[in-house]
Amino acid sequence: MNKLFPFVFFLSMAIQVFASIDTIAVDVGISVFKTMPIGVVPFTEPSGTSLDWPDEKPHEVAERDLNLSGRFEIISVPKFDLVKLSRARAKFYVTGKIEKALNNKIKIDCFLYATQSKDLILGESYTVSLMDSRKAVHEFIDKVIYQLWGVHGVASTKLAWVSKIDGVKQIVVADYDGFHRRQLTFDSTISMMPVWSHDNERIIFVSFRNNKPQLYIKDVATGTQKRLFKKFEQTFSPAVNPKTGEILFSAITDGKTDLYVGDPETQKSRRLSFLKSSQTSPSWSPNSSEIIFTSDRGGSPQIYVMNSDGTDMRRMTFMGRYNERASWAPTGDRIVYTSMDDGKMNIYTCAIDGSDIVQLTSNSGNNERPSWSPDGMLIAFSSNRSGSNQIYIMRRDGSNVTRITQGGENTAPTWSWYPIHKQTKHKEGKE
Amino acid sequence: MKSIYTLLIAGCVVIGLTACSKKEEPVVDPVVQEAPAEAVEAQQPQVNEDSLAALERERLEAERLEAERLEAARKKLQEMMDRLMSEDVYFDFDRSELTEEAKTLLIQVGEVLNQEPRFTITVEGHTDARGTEDYNLTLGSARSTKVKEFLSAYGIAAERMETISFGEEKPKQAGESEEAFAKNRRANFRVNVK
Repeated sequence: MNKLFPFVFFLSMAIQVFASIDTIAVDVGISVFKTMPIGVVPFTEPSGTSLDWPDEKPHEVAERDLNLSGRFEIISVPKFDLVKLSRARAKFYVTGKIEKALNNKIKIDCFLYATQSKDLILGESYTVSLMDSRKAVHEFIDKVIYQLWGVHGVASTKLAWVSKIDGVKQIVVADYDGFHRRQLTFDSTISMMPVWSHDNERIIFVSFRNNKPQLYIKDVATGTQKRLFKKFEQTFSPAVNPKTGEILFSAITDGKTDLYVGDPETQKSRRLSFLKSSQTSPSWSPNSSEIIFTSDRGGSPQIYVMNSDGTDMRRMTFMGRYNERASWAPTGDRIVYTSMDDGKMNIYTCAIDGSDIVQLTSNSGNNERPSWSPDGMLIAFSSNRSGSNQIYIMRRDGSNVTRITQGGENTAPTWSWYPIHKQTKHKEGKE
Repeated sequence: MKSIYTLLIAGCVVIGLTACSKKEEPVVDPVVQEAPAEAVEAQQPQVNEDSLAALERERLEAERLEAERLEAARKKLQEMMDRLMSEDVYFDFDRSELTEEAKTLLIQVGEVLNQEPRFTITVEGHTDARGTEDYNLTLGSARSTKVKEFLSAYGIAAERMETISFGEEKPKQAGESEEAFAKNRRANFRVNVK
C-alpha cells in the first residue's frame, strides 16, 4: 500500500492537470455502471394456430425493453437452459405464456423466475388485443425493474420529437422505443421544441404559424390547442416545472431574449432574469428550487445556474466556447448539455458544480438536444451520424447507443414524465 | 407664359406676406383672372360636336397618361420593395455586430425608407445550421435588432420596423458548406406598404 500510494497520488494529479487544460479524457462507449445479467426465454404460444404479431413477439419486446433500460445484460435462450443461464450468472429470467381469449384478444401471462430455484418472483396477466401486446410487456418490464432495482422503469414512458413530414417540421409522439408513432401537428408551418406537460396529456411546443416563434399547448388525445403567453410576440424554449407544471420559457422583448416563468392555465407570467445579455434554454432542478440556463453575458453561450426566483446567479461551464441546452438529471446529481467544438455538436455531462466533465459522444456527426429519461438512467438525443438526423437512446455514461427511428429527419426528442402515480411513489422512495 | 408664372408666384408671395394684415388692394386679381381667361379664349371657337369628341379623346389620353404614371410609380415602388427584399445583411459566425459592408448596405436601405415613407419593414434574423435551435433563435433576434438599431440611428422611426427571429429554421442555401453557412447568417427584409 505504501508503495502504491505515490503512484495513485501521481495519477490523480495527472487527471487534475488534464482537467484544467482543454483535454477531456473519457472512455466513450465503455460502461461505468454494473449491469445485471438476466435471461429471456420465448413465451409459449397456443399450439396449432400462429398469432399475427404487429411487429415483435412479446419476448422480443421484453428483450428490447430490458436492453434499452440500461440496467441489464440480456442472456437470450431459446428455451429454459439452467447451464447457460448459470454460466452467464443470470440469477433471474423472464418468460411467459400466451393464450387466446374472448373477443379476438389474447391473454399474456408474464413471469419473472429465479433461475436456480425456479421460484416465481413476479407474475402478471394481461388480456389485450394483439396491437396492445407491446404495452402489456412494457408494463411488466417496468414491474420487473421495480422488483429488482427498487426504482420505476421507463418502458411505459413516451417520447415527443420533431419529424420532417412532406418537408415541414411537425411534432410526433411515440412510445419511448420509437414504436406507435403518431403525428400531433398538421400545420403548413414549422412546429418545434416539444415538451410534455406535467400530466403527460399535453405537449407544449413552438409554432411559426403566425410567422414568428410562439408557444402553443396541445392536448395529445383531443388535439385541442391554444396559444400561450400572448402578451409576448416571440416565445420559445419551454421547460416544465417538475413539481408545479409551471412553464419556464424564453421571450424576446425589445430585441433581447430573457427568461420568464408562467402558468399555462392563468397565462400569467413574470420575468426571471434582468441582464443586458440574452438568456435562453432554461431547465429546472428536480426539486425545482434552481434553474440552469444559457447566457451569452461572457461573449459566448455558457451555462449558468441560479435560484428559481432569479437570485444567486453563477457560471457553471468554463471549458470550451459554446456550451448550450443544459438539462438537469432527474436524479439531481448531474447535468447534460451540448457543446460545440470545431463546428460539431457533442453531448457532455458534468457534476452540478461544473466539475467532472464527461464527453458522451464523439466522432459521429452532430449529436444534439439530450433529454433525460424520468429515471435518470438514459439520455435520448438526435444525431446525424447515419447521414440523416435520427433519434437515439444511450445510457447516461454514453454506452449502449440505440437508434430508435429509421428514415426521414427526426430531431429534438423530449422524454415524457413518469405517470402521475409513479411520480409520487418515486419521490417517496428517494426521500 | 413665363412672365405669368412669375406674376403668379409674386402674387402668392404677396398674399402670403399680407395674409395676416388687413385687406389691401389685390395686386393679384388681374393676374389670376388672366390665366383662365386665356384658356376660355382658346376653347371658345371649338365649341361644337368635333371639339366635344376631341375633348373626350383628350380626357381618355389624360386617363391613359395618369394610368401610365401610376403604373410607373407602382413599378418604381415594386422595384424599391424588391431591392429591399433582395438585399441581405450578412454576419460573421456567432456574431451580431454589423460589418462595414453591412453598414454600407443599410445606409442604402435607410435611403429607400426615407424616400418612401409608406414602407414599413420586418427585419428577419437568421443563423447558419450550426449550434442549437434555442441559442440560434436568440442570435437571430440579436442580428435583426442590430439592424433595426442602425436604421433607427439613421433616422427611420422605430414604429416602422418590426424584428423577428427565425433562428436556423429558414436557410437560404441548404447544405453544410462554409459557403452555405455564410449565406445563411443574415438579416433580410420584408416590406409592407401602408
